[in-house]
Amino acid sequence: MTVDWLYTTFSQLFSFIENTDLLFLMSAILPIGIIVSLMAANAIVMVYAEMKISAFMQDRVGPMGQGPGLHAGKFGILQPIADPIKLLLKEDTIPEVADKPLFILAPFIIFLGAIIGFLAVPFNENVIVVDLNIGIFYIMAVGSLAVIGLILAGWSSNNKWSLYGGMRSAAQIISYEIPAGLCVIVIIMLAGSLNMQDIIHYQSGGMLNWIIFSNPFSFVAFFVFFICIVAETNRGPFDISEAESELVGGFHTEYSGFRWSIFFLSEYANMLIVAFVAATGFLGGWQSPFQDFMTGPLWGTFWMLGKVFSLLFVMIWFRWTFPRLRVDQLMYICWKVFIPISLINIFGVGIWTILIG
Amino acid sequence: MSRYFRNIAESLSSLLTGMGITFTHMLKIKKGNVTLQYPEEKWPRPERNIGFNHEDYNVIRSRLTVDINDCIGCLKCERICPVQCIKIETEKAPVRGEDINEINHVGITSNGTNKVQVVTRFDIDMTECCYCNLCTYPCPEECIYMTGGPNSKKHPIDYEFSEHDRSDLIYRFAKPGTKEGIQKVKSKQGAQS
Amino acid sequence: MDGDLMTINMGPNHPATHGVLRLKCQTDGEIISGITPVIGYLHRCFEKHSENVTYEQVIPYVDRCDYLSSMTMDFGYVVAVEKLMNIEVPEKVEYIRVVMAELQRIASHLLALGVYGMDMGAFTPMLYMLKERERILDLFELTCGARLLYNYMWVGGLSHDLPRGFVEMTYQFLDQFEPKIDEYDNVLSNNKIFVERTADIGVLPPDVAVNYGVTGPNLRASGVKWDLRKNEAYSIYDRFDFEVPIGEGIKGTVGDCWDRYYVRMIEIRESVKIVRQALAKMPKDGDVHKAVPKKIRPPKGSIYSRTESSRGDLGYYIISDGTPTPSRVKMRSPSFASLSAISEISEGWMMSDMISVLGSLDIVLGEIDR
Repeated sequence: MTVDWLYTTFSQLFSFIENTDLLFLMSAILPIGIIVSLMAANAIVMVYAEMKISAFMQDRVGPMGQGPGLHAGKFGILQPIADPIKLLLKEDTIPEVADKPLFILAPFIIFLGAIIGFLAVPFNENVIVVDLNIGIFYIMAVGSLAVIGLILAGWSSNNKWSLYGGMRSAAQIISYEIPAGLCVIVIIMLAGSLNMQDIIHYQSGGMLNWIIFSNPFSFVAFFVFFICIVAETNRGPFDISEAESELVGGFHTEYSGFRWSIFFLSEYANMLIVAFVAATGFLGGWQSPFQDFMTGPLWGTFWMLGKVFSLLFVMIWFRWTFPRLRVDQLMYICWKVFIPISLINIFGVGIWTILIG
Repeated sequence: MSRYFRNIAESLSSLLTGMGITFTHMLKIKKGNVTLQYPEEKWPRPERNIGFNHEDYNVIRSRLTVDINDCIGCLKCERICPVQCIKIETEKAPVRGEDINEINHVGITSNGTNKVQVVTRFDIDMTECCYCNLCTYPCPEECIYMTGGPNSKKHPIDYEFSEHDRSDLIYRFAKPGTKEGIQKVKSKQGAQS
Repeated sequence: MDGDLMTINMGPNHPATHGVLRLKCQTDGEIISGITPVIGYLHRCFEKHSENVTYEQVIPYVDRCDYLSSMTMDFGYVVAVEKLMNIEVPEKVEYIRVVMAELQRIASHLLALGVYGMDMGAFTPMLYMLKERERILDLFELTCGARLLYNYMWVGGLSHDLPRGFVEMTYQFLDQFEPKIDEYDNVLSNNKIFVERTADIGVLPPDVAVNYGVTGPNLRASGVKWDLRKNEAYSIYDRFDFEVPIGEGIKGTVGDCWDRYYVRMIEIRESVKIVRQALAKMPKDGDVHKAVPKKIRPPKGSIYSRTESSRGDLGYYIISDGTPTPSRVKMRSPSFASLSAISEISEGWMMSDMISVLGSLDIVLGEIDR
């Protein structure tokens, strides 16, 4: 479902519209609308999943209810709907001494960074908004846009704790881009393309052809990449920028109501994007794990989302198991463990491809 | 160098162990769950019958209550209270151990003690109460206790007594109008004699 | 790069200060160069109040000082008053008191360890530990009706005898609890991230610890074998066979945060041992009110008595002027001494390490401010 395909469809459908700009606008806005609603739906599913999974891991049952009305529906199903309603109804405060324009701008920059990444994400064989020939590079690039928003949020709040959070997250995200990028190079070396669909097509023909299993170095690269993207989304053991027991809430301490919910939405959207990249790059995207078994566009979407949500589950699992790292230990792991390993991986993949094929 | 790799191996094994534990807890949630769905399910109240001459003394800490008909106004509970949340005022009864029908005063307690005093005020401020249970032990007539305690059949347990207004948490146990009533009774008797 | 220091206020409302503690921190970036604890936000005039109430009325106030370990607080107070009045307590009462105090020590340490894990960002182990703590509180509720502030130990006795089936239920609890300690070790103590966050951090050398008057698990973690239950056995602690764990620096240096954490973990195991022995030796019959005086009116004089609470050396200095109300009650609070050492051991470390040090000292603000 590329924009081009929409454009041709629209021009056939609405042949009475002469203005080609209008048609182009329509075919551009429609996917954006779908992506925004997808982000909201994703946040709802993820909030519910996080509440339930964390509860089960902690011997609790999480949100529960005996029926609609009194509580949050059967099994608390309505809880993720009640939460946004509460957030939207809350007073949206801006501190007196905050830098108001930047304070208002910051959440939207983060939101923007999350939303435009979806443009190059393939959902199945046909459904991709823009099939960029530099797809994976584009996603990595716009993914770093969030760091500007985080620094702005930390700085403009005019709160020392928020400033700590902003600075920490800036250092963290920028550092973890490097090993993540180096791991993406492994994908590019093997697939020989930056295009997301080409990378997936390279991995066709069953589980053993996936990049993760193609050689031992790429197997290591997958795990390094996965941990790096967890760190990049400020989650799990790497949530030092919001570290509630140290910095109270980090960069979003001063935010409330709708603006705060945008941070929340973006966090889950970012998780979704990086999980898509990991699934595309290493786990064969929408390819079935078995050759010629349950293939087709619908099954493709199923496999893709299955892989993505398994990765998201592992992220939640991380978060509710591990303690938080200290900021210098985070840097140690990045610069002294992951970067050497990633460099060795690139070297190893090259040698392996030449010698074994 | 070997320390570097040992560190990585150690980290991986310890982190995977932790993940294994949380995962098994997740799978065994049916067995391990501790949450109660509060308004529907309630924590079982411990049942026990022991000591202090009370045959059915159920040890419980909840709202204080008084059987005012049994109260002889000895002020023991007021004196023992460490936070002074019990306020009692008494008036000497005209005739010892006799009912006064005008103010619904009962002259003899259920233990058979003849009452000398008429309790005109018995207020317990539950906002101040520290639930230490000290007031219930010295009571000679066993008329002050926490609900669900010795007379749990008469006074079922009540630990959910939140109110919108703070003054609603002051429980007044003396019968309304006793204070004015006893004075009226006394002055009437004074006029007769 | 030299720059001005930034003053940052941590607390009184902060998730990691375990109550209402305010820490004035001078920071150079993430590094803490000066730290001043400001206390008194939870001051409730316990000592002054005690001068206006009778001896038995002090006990509910004592409960509320260290609200996480009320039984051991009561224990210290009643032992002091009994010494002042020369009361001989029945055998059964002594055994029940030891069982209660040790169960309370387990409960208090479980909370301390769990919340310490939460300070480090590990939420799940805390709930595992709280789950077991709840079972101990259930036992207390069965015994005296209250779950947190018991008013259970009286001068000369106890408010109630043990309920029927208590011994069996306690054995049942201990049997299912002991394997859980290994689980805590796996999920938190040996977790590499947790070890990195705590080992070699905030090292409290033994001489500094002694100078500051730090006691309890914090002192023992620094390698000083000092436990009043062994060294100055009060009540009947000399009849039990248990070890006094000291910090050995397994993961780092002796006296670091991990040692302070782990000493508590071993103490839980030792307390389990004591409870088992006490339950086995406990006499079946006996009236727990036999020695309760009708009127508590100690002779003129003063007493200083100290016991080992969950947090350390808990001392009561009581002056009696022969009336039913104490003339003066002074409490030596172990957490206060522990907190005073924080500036010594956390300066020069990072912000996150300071949280780690604060959590490992296991302070309770109710007891510091009194």
